[in-house]
Amino acid sequence: MRTWWGWALSVLGVLLAAAGAAVMVVLGPDSRLSTGPHAIETDDIAVVTAPEVIRWADVKIDVRAELPARKPVFIGLGNTVDVRSYLAETRRLEVTSFDRPWTITTRAVDGAPALPGAPTALDWWIATSEPRLGGATLSARLPDESVSLAILSVGSSNLAGLEVTLAYGVNNGFLKGASTSLLGLAVLWVGVLAIRSRRRDEPDGDDLGDDLEEEVVYVYVDDDGVEHEISAEEAADLEVVDEIGADDDPPRPAPGADTEPEPEPEPEPVPTVPQVVVPGVLTAADIAAGRDRPRPAPDPHPEPERVVYVFVDEDGVEHEVGEDELAEFEVVDDETDDGGGRP
Amino acid sequence: MRRTIVALACSLALTACAVPHERDDLTPRKTAASTDTVTTVIDRYREVRSSAVALLDPKPLSTVETGAVLAIDSGSFAVSQGSSTTQEGDTADVEVTDVEVPRFTKYPLWFSAVVRDRQLGVNRVQVFERASSVDPWLLTASPETLSGTELPAIRRADGAARTVGADDGVGMAMSPQEAADAYAAVLADPGAEQSATIADDSFIKQMRTTAATNADLENVTFSQTWEAQDVQYALRTGDGGALAFVTLLRKDTYTVADGLTVTWPEGSPQRAFLSEGISGSGTLSYLHQVLLYLPGGAGEPRALGQYGGVVGGEGGQGGGGATG
Repeated sequence: MRTWWGWALSVLGVLLAAAGAAVMVVLGPDSRLSTGPHAIETDDIAVVTAPEVIRWADVKIDVRAELPARKPVFIGLGNTVDVRSYLAETRRLEVTSFDRPWTITTRAVDGAPALPGAPTALDWWIATSEPRLGGATLSARLPDESVSLAILSVGSSNLAGLEVTLAYGVNNGFLKGASTSLLGLAVLWVGVLAIRSRRRDEPDGDDLGDDLEEEVVYVYVDDDGVEHEISAEEAADLEVVDEIGADDDPPRPAPGADTEPEPEPEPEPVPTVPQVVVPGVLTAADIAAGRDRPRPAPDPHPEPERVVYVFVDEDGVEHEVGEDELAEFEVVDDETDDGGGRP
Repeated sequence: MRRTIVALACSLALTACAVPHERDDLTPRKTAASTDTVTTVIDRYREVRSSAVALLDPKPLSTVETGAVLAIDSGSFAVSQGSSTTQEGDTADVEVTDVEVPRFTKYPLWFSAVVRDRQLGVNRVQVFERASSVDPWLLTASPETLSGTELPAIRRADGAARTVGADDGVGMAMSPQEAADAYAAVLADPGAEQSATIADDSFIKQMRTTAATNADLENVTFSQTWEAQDVQYALRTGDGGALAFVTLLRKDTYTVADGLTVTWPEGSPQRAFLSEGISGSGTLSYLHQVLLYLPGGAGEPRALGQYGGVVGGEGGQGGGGATG
């Protein structure tokens, strides 16, 4: 699963990085494409785009209209419903199609030779230029609605000699392209990390199973539960009390299986090692009890305790006697080995 | 891993916010007015109307009203001027409780607003219209309902109120225009065949009472006609019905026996428009804006509110009268 995500992220990262780089290359440092000036042949008082010409949203446009002889000109961007109503009865040149970088088709529409009102007095323009003599510039970001661009002659003049320069791009497009590239590289890096992590943590048994070599580790556990690693030779002389292997793990229910609630997680089992006990080896408890040397192991088949009978003469010298001679003596004392004993 | 994926998804989503994209729907559409525009239009209307009421001069109203509303208000001002009384203006305790803004593909644009006047105990359901992109916003309808009258919920789509065409009767007993015509027919004649399809509401009863009173004048023959004008504004209600703004033209004709003259008291609309009284025949014209509710399904249309008044007079002594 992790490998799949890693590859997916890697591919996504490459695509993002490539797309960001492409945006940077296409737009350039100023984040836009420019074309013009282009002459538009008309002697009407209005040039307007048809509703289907401006199809894009969130594109930054800069339009400059220039007229000879310092004639006043106005540029406005408005909702198509507003612009169409405004120029419905006006003689105009309508731009019916536009292809990049600059291929337009137009049609002339007859009407009144004057605007129904001063464009500067209207409140519905989305963006306008300052009315200037000889030229005007409009800068706007295209909204997500149907809009039309209108170039209007102000006053009694017309648009004869009109030249239009158009620039379009993405606001901070170069920066956004760079950001996208960096983001793509970051995604790629995360994807590569995910793939490597998967290989390191969970090797695929099919690919690597033949190279695996089982390693056996011998430990003994002292009275305090502390494990001590020992060699195989040492372990051979000791008693094996437990042996744990990877296959000894209890089976786990499949995720999502409709079974009883999952029990509390148990501690991780000890690695696959046989555990042995080494009698006679000092443990921490032995050391704490003051024993400085190991005790011999108890005889697994101890002989029955032998009783020694001793006769003490008048000089205090002890003489050993047999059980059959005991009847001749009076037992005057009975001691164990610890305390000693005399007949 | 999951956190990383979530962070990446958020980053991509934020990056995509301002990414240029080609619009799918190229149909020209416009929401009639923004919230700021609605506020500006209503505030300006109240300001101008207050000035007109203070001056008892209807002329400023022509900058904020048009059509039937302007005619009714001008007639009302004429009555007030004739009787030297003051006009009833908006009180200070006014608030806009609801605004319904439809979306249009062409002009005219319009929106409706419910303005509550707590002091007068009425709600004004006002319609403001912009006839073209170079025209100002003007009030074109303003039926009033009692403050306790509950208006049906308006259906919306993509944040814009849904409108109903005047001839669109889908899901209703009849179209708004058919309802307006039927309503006028029932007002003119209680026995009209459309009376079975129109609810006998309080407005109809009130108009019949008024007509009966006028018909009781001695030596006067009284007749009344009703005519529905074209329905221009109708909103789709939540139950699939419609809330239609219907304008009705009412004409009251008085025919007086030869040698007699009928006059009306000071302060009455008849006196304002037929100041010399009627000898022979005279007609007073009224406009009523009725807020007609057409329930979804087979329910009968009924009026929820109205706003009206005398707008002109013809005939009378000397052959003329004032026209509002």
